[in-house]
Amino acid sequence: MTSISKTATSDKAEQVHRVLLGKKQILVTEDEPLLVQLEQAGIHVEYQCREGYCSSCSIKLLWGNVSYPFEPLAWVQSGYLLACCAIVKSDIEIAFFD
Amino acid sequence: MSYSTFNRKQFDSTKEPMFFGENVNVARYDQQKHPIFEKLIEKQLSFFWRPEEVDLSTDRKDFQRLEAHEQHIFLSNLKYQTLLDSVQGRSPNVALLPIVSLPELETWIETWSFSETIHSRSYTHIIRNIVNDPTKIFDDIVTNEEITKRADSVSIYYDRLIEMVNIYNTMGMGTFDIPGKGSIEISMPKLKKALYLTIASVNVLEAIRFYVSFACSFAFAERTLMEGNAKIIKLIARDEALHLTGTQHMLNLMASGKDDPEMAIIAAECQDEVRQIFIEAAEQEKEWATYLFKDGSMIGLNAQILGQYVEYITNVRMQTVGLDAHFATKHNPIPWINAWLVSDNVQVAPQEAEISSYLVGQTDNSLDDSDFDDFDL
Repeated sequence: MTSISKTATSDKAEQVHRVLLGKKQILVTEDEPLLVQLEQAGIHVEYQCREGYCSSCSIKLLWGNVSYPFEPLAWVQSGYLLACCAIVKSDIEIAFFD
Repeated sequence: MSYSTFNRKQFDSTKEPMFFGENVNVARYDQQKHPIFEKLIEKQLSFFWRPEEVDLSTDRKDFQRLEAHEQHIFLSNLKYQTLLDSVQGRSPNVALLPIVSLPELETWIETWSFSETIHSRSYTHIIRNIVNDPTKIFDDIVTNEEITKRADSVSIYYDRLIEMVNIYNTMGMGTFDIPGKGSIEISMPKLKKALYLTIASVNVLEAIRFYVSFACSFAFAERTLMEGNAKIIKLIARDEALHLTGTQHMLNLMASGKDDPEMAIIAAECQDEVRQIFIEAAEQEKEWATYLFKDGSMIGLNAQILGQYVEYITNVRMQTVGLDAHFATKHNPIPWINAWLVSDNVQVAPQEAEISSYLVGQTDNSLDDSDFDDFDL
């Protein structure tokens, strides 16, 4: 029993990535899109559709990788990510619009 | 070159630009140059709704209890929304269908415009339900100076493009003396420039002007007033978010040169003018905010806060189409608007509450006897 839960924890630990936002650092997993996890960390992000077609949650991706489980309908500019449907795949640094 | 409703030429439509190539002949979607437009069509169809689904009986009582200056805010806002959707319900068809060259884009334009007609019908539904004489309200849209000023600015680019395309279709290229208008030069770069500026001004209409009006509608609902109206506006906002994605795709495809290399040059030349369209629209919306709140503010919203929201949303939208932000405002002064704009909890019917865009009446053909194993009679 103990060993099972340990494995589960270590599996999860492998998926944790750091998100840098200015001077803040947030830890996120690959289980949920970035937007939800930023909100859980108390960071206010603009949103509307939360399913990839309105581009309200577009955020600058300064470096690092994200992936999309499905291709969003909204136009994603190069150097930006759509927080509502992006899954963080490495440590990343993000910034809001100026 | 005149428009044909069924172009007899044989050509590969995937080699055509979005606009000003061959007229579309076969409405076929088996081969597509820009598949995004068919995805937008599918999404839009999945959003289908009817205004009559929303009950407005409480709104009537709420409206009667509003103070006079609040009634002014509510009705003026509704008149403005009516104007915007009157324009949007026809103009993409009239202006863009004669010059579109891709079947998937042609159908997106028609689908987009159709959904705007649902919005227009919903304003009549709202007005009928809250006042005894809707005529007074509708008639004022063409006589009220503040509203007609708005009408000029939202229709000017459409009208110019339509006029130029009409001349092009009847007379071809050249410089023509048009009675009452003076000399008008028709050339492909001029036509393309008029088109690019039109799409930019439509993007401004959908991305800024509509959102300013949504803020007013939701400000009432924040005070648990006019909630039926807010429910309808939520459905409209969901559609508009999709439409503005459509125009953003068109603008970005044009600017990238991937669709039509000549368009990329024109887009680059027009950058300052497009910037100006955004900034002017923002200034007009701020003026409008002053008019709305001229007799008094309401709890949660006044001319100053709405003005800040105009600046904020303009900055965001400018950056989405690759322009630098213009205003100093960096934060959304009305963060509560997001909770109203979020579309996945728009409740049309209880069984649809979880997913607002799903396929209605979809059947499952892979059914066999084993699926009935759990059944006992």
